[in-house]
Amino acid sequence: MELKELYALMERFEKSGLSEIVYKKDGEEVTLKKGSTFVLPTAQAMPMPAMPVPGAHPAPAGAASDAPARHAADTEFVRAPLVGTFYRAPAPDAPPFVEKGDTVRKGKPLCILEAMKLMNEFQAEFDLEVVAILVDNGKMVEFGTPLFEVRRV
Amino acid sequence: MIQSLLIANRGEIAVRIIRTCREMGIRTVVAHSQADTDSLPVRMADEHVCIGPAPARESYLNVRNLVTAGVLSGCDALHPGVGFLAENSGFARAVQEAGLIFVGPEPDVIDLLGDKIRAKKSAKDLGIPVIPGTAGSVSDAKEALRAAESFGFPVIVKAAAGGGGKGMRVVRAPAELADVLAVASHEAEKAFADGTVYMEKYLEDPRHVEIQIVADGKGDVVHLGERDCTVQQNHQKLIEESPSPVVTPGLRSKMGEDAVRLLRGLGYTGAGTVEFLVKDGAHYFMEVNARVQVEHPVSEMVTGVDIIRQQILAASGESLEIRQADVKLGSYAVEARINARSAGRVAQFLSPGGYGVRMDTFLYAGYNVPPWYDHLVAKLIVTGKNRAEGLNRLARALGELVIEGIVTNIESQKKIVAHPRFRKGDYGTGFLAEIMKEGAL
Repeated sequence: MELKELYALMERFEKSGLSEIVYKKDGEEVTLKKGSTFVLPTAQAMPMPAMPVPGAHPAPAGAASDAPARHAADTEFVRAPLVGTFYRAPAPDAPPFVEKGDTVRKGKPLCILEAMKLMNEFQAEFDLEVVAILVDNGKMVEFGTPLFEVRRV
Repeated sequence: MIQSLLIANRGEIAVRIIRTCREMGIRTVVAHSQADTDSLPVRMADEHVCIGPAPARESYLNVRNLVTAGVLSGCDALHPGVGFLAENSGFARAVQEAGLIFVGPEPDVIDLLGDKIRAKKSAKDLGIPVIPGTAGSVSDAKEALRAAESFGFPVIVKAAAGGGGKGMRVVRAPAELADVLAVASHEAEKAFADGTVYMEKYLEDPRHVEIQIVADGKGDVVHLGERDCTVQQNHQKLIEESPSPVVTPGLRSKMGEDAVRLLRGLGYTGAGTVEFLVKDGAHYFMEVNARVQVEHPVSEMVTGVDIIRQQILAASGESLEIRQADVKLGSYAVEARINARSAGRVAQFLSPGGYGVRMDTFLYAGYNVPPWYDHLVAKLIVTGKNRAEGLNRLARALGELVIEGIVTNIESQKKIVAHPRFRKGDYGTGFLAEIMKEGAL
């Protein structure tokens, strides 16, 4: 849900005679209650008013912030299990392990995450089709950053 | 100078470090677990990196992810805060090996101070009074009995690698000693993977008094007076104040000089605390906390010295901004720790204010206090011309503080501050247990 939509919902709710409303859309759920100024999100982090702190901005240090936070109904994310640098290929001049549209068998490598000079190879945990590659080669990823959008096959 | 700092910690200490960094023009990157995505330090920092799931073992204690986060986010230094990996020499080494500055003492110094037997020996060698006890570890029960009789019962058996009361046992009768040694050693083995124990004379109901130190690592060591942390529950400090009601000017200068001599002798860098027990006007070295401490604001408010700032300057290889002759003691400050007794959403939050009041916290209305970490949620610090004025102000400020939605110890802190014995300043470390027995809490 866009923040704009959420704010509009809050405004309408405020004016209404209702004491509680549960709003569901696209797998997300928002509960609003009167007598409380807070939103209890279940699908997404609570929207926060911006802190009036000079120099502060909410972007994570990694480049992964532009990765999408949602995937299609029939797909799922493969997420980074550690903090590191994302590499699509075993060596700079080697071809990538996987391309968009590839089918990958369980146990085959998907990418490398480099952490503290160690190259950690990450393998598919199940047979899958690569729907999208979400991080650019050589970018930093956080713990939990979506790396691939995949479909089980 | 450090340009960019990774903060490998959470909660109020992360907020505290960010504040000083912002004043110094240092970019901050906060490492956080998935449970802390909505936390105040994450919102305040310039940048943030998720380093693992909620359990600390996989996030705030995850050396690989923390160091990698520091390197990849372009930091040149890492601040460990308090707790977690702050006194872990292996972590400090990993940080340095990755090319980052570790904001704290050198790993070898952390190692030495972490071993209570070696630390005590260093103090003794420098002529600092230590509690009578065995020179090293004890394992043989007969030998232990001979030693215990030489300095007299009761004695306390402690883990060499210890902390937090684990592996610690008081023995009052000679017949119990052999069994207690075995139990304490087993407990120490389980808690710290090191069953080495030592023994010293047990001081009944002493005062816990510590000296705050800042050091530049090049021989300049300055102490900022003492903090009295005698009000404790199960070795957890609840109220800390400076000056101590039992420390005379003569004792203060002796303790200060001892603490400075010890840390200068070790080539110490940054902020540290030398802990002493005080009994009948005499002081005994206990241990060094090789990091900034939770209660550091008390000394900041008394002396006007920003301790985190001195830590960062020292880590950057700069000089301290204060000399011993410039340290002005004389006013009073006290801190009450506000602990959560339940996790959950903070429905209402109102911070006290007004003259002489400082609040260090990461709470805000609507914040979900996660159940995974330390229970400290706020530190209320007030100043006063003297102890009576300071404690009246603390009582007033505790009365203004509103935290709804989670259970806290605010009411219990009010009762302690109002208790006649606390007001008189006449008690030892057993104080809290005693007044709880009276039903005063």
